[in-house]
Amino acid sequence: MTTLTEHSATAREPEVDTVTFEVLSSALTSIAEEMGVVLKRSSYSPIIRDMDDFSCALFTADGDLVAQADYIPAQLGAMSLVVKAIIERWDGRISDGDAFICNHPFLGAMHLPDVNVVTPIFVDGILSGWSGTAAHHIDVGGVNPGSEGPELEDIFAEGLILPPVRLSIAGVENPDVISIITDNIRDPLSTVSDLRAQRAACVLGYQRLNELAGQYGLAVVSSVMRRNLDVVELAVRNALLDLPDGEGEAEGFLDDDGLDGPPTRIHAKVSKVGDTLHIDLSGSSAQVRGAMNVPWASARAGIVYAVRAVVAPDLGSNDGLLRAVDINAPLGSVLNPMAPAAVSIRHNTCQRFADTLIRALTDIWPEAAVGSSTVSFFCMNVGSTSPVTGRPAVMADVVGGGTGATGEADGLDGVDTYMSNVGVMPAEVVETNYRIRILRNEFVPGSQGTGRFNGGLGLRREYEILEHPQRATFYAEQTKAGFAPTGASGGSSGQPTRITLISPDGTETMVKTKTSTTLQPGTIVRVETAGGGGFGPASERSEAARESDERNGLLAFP
Amino acid sequence: MTSLAQWIVSIDAGGTFTDAIAHANDGRTLVTKTASTPDDPSRGLTNAVAELAAQGMDLDEVKLVCHGTTVATNATLTGNLARVALITTRGFRDVMAYRQGSRPQVYSLKPERPNELVERHARFEVNERIASNGSVVTALQQADIDAVLEKIEALAPEAIAVSLLFSYLNPVHEDMLLAALAQRFPHTPVTISSQVAREFREYPRTATTVINAALRPVVGDYLERAAGSLASGGVLAPFQVMQSNGGCVPAGRAAGQAHRLILSGPAGGVSGLLRGAAEHGLPNVISLDMGGTSVDVCLVRGSQAPYTSRQEVQDHTLIAPTVDIHTIGAGGGSIAWVDRTKRLRVGPQSAKAVPGPASYGRGGTAATLTDAHVVLGTLGSGALAGDLRLDYAAAEKAVRDIGDQLGMGVIEAAEAILAIAMAHMVRAVRKVSVERGLDPREFSLFPFGGAGPLHAGLLLRHLGLSSVVVPHQPGLYSADGLLAAGLRIDDSQTLLRPFGADALPPISGWLAERRDELVRQVIEDGAAPGSVQASVTVDCRYLGQGYELSVPLDGTSVQDLELIAERFHPLHRELYGHSSEQETVEIVTVRLAVTGGFDRVAQPARVAGTMGPADAAIVGRRTVHLPGTGERSTTIYDRTKLQPGNTLAGPAIIQQMDATTVMLAGQSGRVTANGDIIITEDN
Repeated sequence: MTTLTEHSATAREPEVDTVTFEVLSSALTSIAEEMGVVLKRSSYSPIIRDMDDFSCALFTADGDLVAQADYIPAQLGAMSLVVKAIIERWDGRISDGDAFICNHPFLGAMHLPDVNVVTPIFVDGILSGWSGTAAHHIDVGGVNPGSEGPELEDIFAEGLILPPVRLSIAGVENPDVISIITDNIRDPLSTVSDLRAQRAACVLGYQRLNELAGQYGLAVVSSVMRRNLDVVELAVRNALLDLPDGEGEAEGFLDDDGLDGPPTRIHAKVSKVGDTLHIDLSGSSAQVRGAMNVPWASARAGIVYAVRAVVAPDLGSNDGLLRAVDINAPLGSVLNPMAPAAVSIRHNTCQRFADTLIRALTDIWPEAAVGSSTVSFFCMNVGSTSPVTGRPAVMADVVGGGTGATGEADGLDGVDTYMSNVGVMPAEVVETNYRIRILRNEFVPGSQGTGRFNGGLGLRREYEILEHPQRATFYAEQTKAGFAPTGASGGSSGQPTRITLISPDGTETMVKTKTSTTLQPGTIVRVETAGGGGFGPASERSEAARESDERNGLLAFP
Repeated sequence: MTSLAQWIVSIDAGGTFTDAIAHANDGRTLVTKTASTPDDPSRGLTNAVAELAAQGMDLDEVKLVCHGTTVATNATLTGNLARVALITTRGFRDVMAYRQGSRPQVYSLKPERPNELVERHARFEVNERIASNGSVVTALQQADIDAVLEKIEALAPEAIAVSLLFSYLNPVHEDMLLAALAQRFPHTPVTISSQVAREFREYPRTATTVINAALRPVVGDYLERAAGSLASGGVLAPFQVMQSNGGCVPAGRAAGQAHRLILSGPAGGVSGLLRGAAEHGLPNVISLDMGGTSVDVCLVRGSQAPYTSRQEVQDHTLIAPTVDIHTIGAGGGSIAWVDRTKRLRVGPQSAKAVPGPASYGRGGTAATLTDAHVVLGTLGSGALAGDLRLDYAAAEKAVRDIGDQLGMGVIEAAEAILAIAMAHMVRAVRKVSVERGLDPREFSLFPFGGAGPLHAGLLLRHLGLSSVVVPHQPGLYSADGLLAAGLRIDDSQTLLRPFGADALPPISGWLAERRDELVRQVIEDGAAPGSVQASVTVDCRYLGQGYELSVPLDGTSVQDLELIAERFHPLHRELYGHSSEQETVEIVTVRLAVTGGFDRVAQPARVAGTMGPADAAIVGRRTVHLPGTGERSTTIYDRTKLQPGNTLAGPAIIQQMDATTVMLAGQSGRVTANGDIIITEDN
């Protein structure tokens, strides 16, 4: 084997030994992580900085994902479709120093607020890779503050659509594109600053990859980038080989179609043969009228997430994983819609899809089964002005719930679930930045599914609207009892999500699952999110656990 | 008859060993390394002092005792904490349980539940509200206070924590509760959040309050016992305890600051690093403290130790000014293994002290980094600390097993294990240097701890460092570093005000008032008045951003504060690659640190020594394999026989009781006046 000191030797057909591979492959991940630190810490959008709704990654020259920093699984592998769309549109006209921007959900992006900024990486004049960032901006225009609306019926109502265009040309920012953006959105200052932060992160990726190529030789680095994909593919195939062959199936429902329509069905049929997994999504509903459709990049991320969670949680994230998966997702389905479908709140559908796919996979391997988690991250977008600056400010807040119990422990209380991992915005941050007071943020005792192990608790959060009327969009899932998170192995379901509007005179009304409205000062919006499903029969719950539930007041459901 | 020598003593009580060093003003230095006594660490302290006394230290003439302790660290790790009752604003009792609201293990369907520091039934609420501008929205009523006192009475907790919303702007309700609780429960410690962390974001502030309360009885009891056993042993000198911020606090005040002692141990190493760097005239240095299970790396630039205001402790976020130390799970005991894709991995699992590396002969069979060194010949079979002898055959068997899985010979496998462990160390050093835009070639590295110096030559070469400085007693370096530290008090206040002329006078007023108070306190704590210094940093961001950068200022005056914006922009550009000079800068939190030096009666001795090759210290030769240099016959030196001024040519191995140093071919070493060895590349 070669050794650390011999790395500088380069060859046309590089032999990369196990140690060099290990060193370079961890260096590639650490580049993506370092890009993430730069973006997170300098961003304006609270969705990026406090909720980690962004990704940073490196790609091969062909646009295959090589290394991604683990922030939010909802964006897993998504950017590679955007990079490929850029290559397709711009091939032959790509220069050193260019940066591309794209948020087009039918060209590889996920929904309009997730804006991709991607730069080609040239080493000694040769296009050798790409560095990319995707980040959820607070607002990209459209009908509603926050650029989301369940009731919207096409993509054009949702906001500004950016196909792959050049944010900068040969190192210089492109003023034409910047002007189009600033004149179409609500908070241009934050958005443009965050785009610059995204580009700075990409430039860092560019520099770091060039440093690696300088140290080890471009041929070695490129070879490791390609082999990184093979290693993940091999690991997934090995893990699949170790599992018994079999077939599984599961379905799940969304409360509606985004409007007042019927429930939307998500269905997955899976089979594992040898070292390959087959996933058939053709039983899912056709694309729907409201904004619940899942662009292909998002559905693909859901598959990567579920396969990783069930088969190989310790694996790195790259496109090698999908080589071991054969997928049937007919065009025109809610999981692979056609333009101009509305997609802005696709996240709800994605979460239900992740839940359904995990249940289908654990139908093949029951020992991996766990209770279901809430898929209803309640979301509340409110447009107002900042108490500090007086400038327009959009609050985009989300509330997690309970995760499913496992065969070994109770679920987690009050967290975001599955493909998402968004934190709780501190009340002190909300109240400082928006004209809203958080009256409560606490667990909902009794919301958990019961069993030998209980599901996690849902959260209750109350928002009081202060000072002046404010335009709000809020939405949730699992507000219908039959659709609440299910238990496993005999555990019971969690309680569904409830949204209550309390008017200034104290009148309480339950509101429908998804609403866009104007809220008067003194109004309180209360959400109580779903608890996770239980595991095993409740009769098998230990005496100590029962005593603890009792002592800690977790049994009552108010 | 001259007067008796005066002594200063440092005691670093770690998990395995309690190290102690005593310096006298007549030039004598005494050292001892005794087994720690985890059941009651104060006995370890007594034992160490008794051992120093047996070596000739006059207990009556001890003038200062500095102590690094892992009591707070271990209490949090093992959950040996006080039962705490928590009082929060109505609607927020569960804040300690939902924390930041995110999951640490995103891909696991079977995640571990986070540590719960206060059970739900011990979390109480009061009906009160302060607004985001500090005004009272709902006043706290006496009836509410009475009701919560009743519930706490029934619970009989060992400590009480109070954390209300926006208390960093207006502590009036926390103060009311503190007064009522102190009166009703005079023997129970009460911590209010506005006393330990006047900073925004309710979760980390509450966590800090709860961890402080949970540690106070544990740390307080320990320090009381430790002070008592020192006194009964005849030592009546001031007893100072190292904090995570790299400065000491008198033991009598330390319990109130218990959450600030969690890095008490490693902070001693950093203070040693600062002194070592100053002695060698090196402004830019990196420490690499490697023991059995982990490596602590700290980068000092321009003679300034790096600080962070946050710390992660057992699933919780703590607001505490802390020396910024990057820790990775790689040590001498790190286990080598082959994963499913036939890749060789090293760590993060460690064989720890028990069963230990295979070569320790204590029952361990897994190949560790230490075993790779035994196979390669860098670690010879000889006496190590703690009467340990290394078993070559056991190491060879363990490493050969790894080689068999990879189709490699035993030497090749040992080289591969070392190369991968080196990659971890290199990555850790790059993390604190390259990833912060700093070039390691401008830094010197201080490797210490039991396993650090083994990699001295390799680190020098792979990182392209300007030099490596191996301390005189690498295994006792953290203890020795304690004596280099002074006193330190930190304070902070969240303000959240846009930068502008109107904002500055009140901030300046607050800073000046707090500075005067802290200066008075640090002198009362034992600082020599002439040595007291205050430093001010302001955490800033562009208005609308979510994270802050610390901008250092030169003082507390309005003129000093006026420089905030012009210092912030270039800092932002340097770290993040972009800045916007026309944007408004927001002042988020102001921070004050007051330091003072001890009146030291003694300093470590310096010896003139002998110039020239260190032939007198040669004790033998043996064959050593190293990655990249192959098999070589290597000179073995006895560190105790090296004299200041001696020079050594690599390849060389320098053995001493507490560590082994390895130099590569093409490297030279020079012993300095304080006994350190500086290693550089020849070309």
